[in-house]
Amino acid sequence: MSGSPLSRFEMVIGLEVHAQLRTESKLFSSAKVSFGDAPNHNVEPVCLALPGVLPVLNRRAVECAILAGLATHCTVHTRSVFARKHYFYPDLPKGYQISQFELPIATGGWIDIQVGADAEAVTKRIGLTRIHMEEDAGKSIHDDAVAGSDATLVDLNRAGVPLVEIVSEPDLRSPAEAGAYLRTLRSILRYIDVSDADMEKGNFRCDANVSLRPIGREEFGTRTELKNLNSFRFVEAAILAEARRQASILADGGEIQQATMAYDAATDRTRVLRLKEDAHDYRYFPDPDLIPLEIGAGEIEEFRRALPELADEKCLRFQAQYGLSEYDALQLSEDRALGDYFEAAVENHGAAKTVANWMLRDVLKALGELEVEIGDSKLTPEAFARLLELVDSGTITAKSGQGLVSDLVRAGGDPTALVSERGLEAVSDAGVLAAAVDEVLAEYPENIEKFRAGETKVLNFLMGQVMRRTQGKADPNAVRELLAERLEG
Amino acid sequence: MPSPLGTLAELRSALDAGTTSSQELVAQALERAEALKGGLNCFMGLRADAAREEALAADARRKRGEVRSRVDGVPVAIKDNMVQTGEPTTCASRILTGFVSPYTSTAVQRLVDAGAVVIGRTNMDEFAMGSSTEHSAIGPCHNPWDPTRTAGGSSGGSAAAVAAGIVPFALGSDTGGSIRQPASLCGVTGIKPTYGRVSRWGLVAFASSLDQIGVLARTAEDCASVLEIISGHDPRDSTSIPEPAPVYRDALERGIEDIVIGLPREYFAPEGADPAVLATVCAAVEELERAGARTREITLPHTRYGIATYYLIADAEASSNLARYDGVRYGLRARGTVGLTEMYERTRSEGFGDEVKRRIVLGTYVLSAGYYDAYYRKAQQVRTLLRGDFEQAFHGCDVIATPTAPEVAFRLGEKTADPLSMYLSDVYTVSASLAGIPGLSLPCGFHDGMPIGLQLLGPAMGEAAPLRVAAAYQRSTAHHENRAPETV
Repeated sequence: MSGSPLSRFEMVIGLEVHAQLRTESKLFSSAKVSFGDAPNHNVEPVCLALPGVLPVLNRRAVECAILAGLATHCTVHTRSVFARKHYFYPDLPKGYQISQFELPIATGGWIDIQVGADAEAVTKRIGLTRIHMEEDAGKSIHDDAVAGSDATLVDLNRAGVPLVEIVSEPDLRSPAEAGAYLRTLRSILRYIDVSDADMEKGNFRCDANVSLRPIGREEFGTRTELKNLNSFRFVEAAILAEARRQASILADGGEIQQATMAYDAATDRTRVLRLKEDAHDYRYFPDPDLIPLEIGAGEIEEFRRALPELADEKCLRFQAQYGLSEYDALQLSEDRALGDYFEAAVENHGAAKTVANWMLRDVLKALGELEVEIGDSKLTPEAFARLLELVDSGTITAKSGQGLVSDLVRAGGDPTALVSERGLEAVSDAGVLAAAVDEVLAEYPENIEKFRAGETKVLNFLMGQVMRRTQGKADPNAVRELLAERLEG
Repeated sequence: MPSPLGTLAELRSALDAGTTSSQELVAQALERAEALKGGLNCFMGLRADAAREEALAADARRKRGEVRSRVDGVPVAIKDNMVQTGEPTTCASRILTGFVSPYTSTAVQRLVDAGAVVIGRTNMDEFAMGSSTEHSAIGPCHNPWDPTRTAGGSSGGSAAAVAAGIVPFALGSDTGGSIRQPASLCGVTGIKPTYGRVSRWGLVAFASSLDQIGVLARTAEDCASVLEIISGHDPRDSTSIPEPAPVYRDALERGIEDIVIGLPREYFAPEGADPAVLATVCAAVEELERAGARTREITLPHTRYGIATYYLIADAEASSNLARYDGVRYGLRARGTVGLTEMYERTRSEGFGDEVKRRIVLGTYVLSAGYYDAYYRKAQQVRTLLRGDFEQAFHGCDVIATPTAPEVAFRLGEKTADPLSMYLSDVYTVSASLAGIPGLSLPCGFHDGMPIGLQLLGPAMGEAAPLRVAAAYQRSTAHHENRAPETV
């Protein structure tokens, strides 16, 4: 790294995130918000910008934006104004987008992110400049296969879908910080249930402003804006690629031109979309069809009181209340549904540490294998607690219990019934176990000598063999005692 | 040619008495419209078949004793900038060629629900931009009093249709005087209510913060009757006043002995208007004094900034509102273009007329980076001052009386080459639009055989005051009963 031009510079990064708000209807019409429907299915006169139509603000979208502002420690304003942002494009039916410009709904907040590897992670506070509400544009389809080689198709299902744009201060200093910021922001928006914040589905999109400055210098360099970064991986890769590009220009004594850039993942390079002098003049002005958005100070306070506990608070509480390690608490609190599941299971079972271990090891593994979220799990927290009780009481071995998690997550069911159905009750009958132990010792007589010669680790090998012979149902303590008896005998 | 129709009040009495039917009235209106088509050009299109069917249904209702309202079965015309399901709306523009609306504007829906029969859509200046109904894709509308002269605009077609006795009343829209000025020039009564009183849902936008639907009729009483039907809160218009439709009947019957009429010095300056117009308006004010009103001179100090402020704000909003006409989804799309930019440029070049293009260019400039503060923001500040002028003035008077227009109807073609002189036709009407207050124009005399209008302005939400004064005036005078000679 020391040889690369980039090592002489510090990155200065600010992110603009567009998050789709979770509402049933669009920001300014009663047209449905839904994905995967036939093109131009969810449209009304307002979405089509027919002559004479007028926008009416969606109350639920405002509530979502208020919550987003409060959860990110912004000042939510009692008065904000919608403005028109003009440009011509076929998927922008009115020829302008209704957004907020001079007076956005929220300004001046922050979020804390974890920077660095797990053990040495430190908290860094990232400033938020503003949050404003706006409507999405439609979708243009230029694909030759769909539209034909000389045509563009327009789908207006998405036109008018409510978004918040969340603009950070230029407080981020590396691609990894940018990634951490995005993950934290996503977690917050999901916690307060205002957005699915799913990058793959396009309802959490990111633009990045990137500049470099020589290490130690205060003032910012000239920045470029990276547009349409559609996955977490892309964001980090694109920022790095753009920083490298800028570094090589600066190292050669060149100047950065203010520009809008695109990232090409195939080549891992960024390229200029348009230079600043070609930038649109959006001709913002307050939308005369909409009155200023007035929110009572009391109402804002009500929303603040109704705000759920957020991930960082929950992480601290999990450590204090359940005695979890910081690492475990962090993992269990990152996702609100996971945290809720954990607490429900603890309530039914009692031993938080055990529940946490099983969740972080077996449940998360099962979810990963099945590629589902905790909310999709068929294993209820109550059934999960019963499963752990079966292990605690020795009815089944831990190994048997672990083997059941994946099936229960996928198909659900009563753990007790499943145990008897599959005959998984732990074997502690002395006669059965003694027979299995004797069989194993007869098969591996050399191990008896090894053990007696001080090579005690063969005990584990023999244990494993006994467990295999009993399909994992043998009570491990009983087996260990029996083996020790025979070997030392 | 069938004879002209009477006032709404007269037609209603005849319908109630059974001496006429809705079918007869609608047939008469349609025939008259057809007969005057060439001479006046006041309709964009008629909906004859649908109107006859609706008249039949209205008569059937009447027979069953289910009369819906005071306009049930009465023929009406609407300006071609209010949409109605299944009907074309063009705003007199080529760019909306072929557009048929899938929905109905609130104002028209309320009339339809009340049983009124829409016989057609009236001619107008393209997108309501103009003061003479000359900037129209189908050519100019002619004044029924003298076809060589303008009917005013932009609601010239609606004013002419009422003046010619084709319909007893019509809907118009007023952005800077587009109801009041043509009412004045055609010798009819027209009211622009308080901004937000009538829903703009389905009114094709010109300048959203100024546009307001209103009524043109023969009398103030008829204006009030129709306004009561079309007014009232509409959740689909965020700028709609959240109050039910007011009732004006009581106000109309009261005298005006306790009324104080403010006479703004700035509106009676001799250099501003034709002396004959000023003299006639002053005579009308004296008539009101004889009817018991008191008068006092007032001042509206920012009046001289009205025209500049109005054209900055209206054109800025228009440039934005008209961005949607891009050839992508409906209306005209230029043929044979290559690429997106050419499609936009050619569609909009071919689709819009010169005056609309002029306003789009002006409005785009006004909102441009670097000019916004100097023009648009400054204009909004002046607008606040103008509103303050009126608020202050209404502390000392109940209505304000002024001329509606500086002169009687001018000749067709007289001002089309000089946009600025055309813009000055609105000099007495734009301030009330900027302030959002109600304004009414009623006929108060003649000059050169052409009607002169008296403008009465009321405070915000206070349509009752000008309606009351106008009704009192019309009880004691007969100017509103004069019929355009060309059409008698």
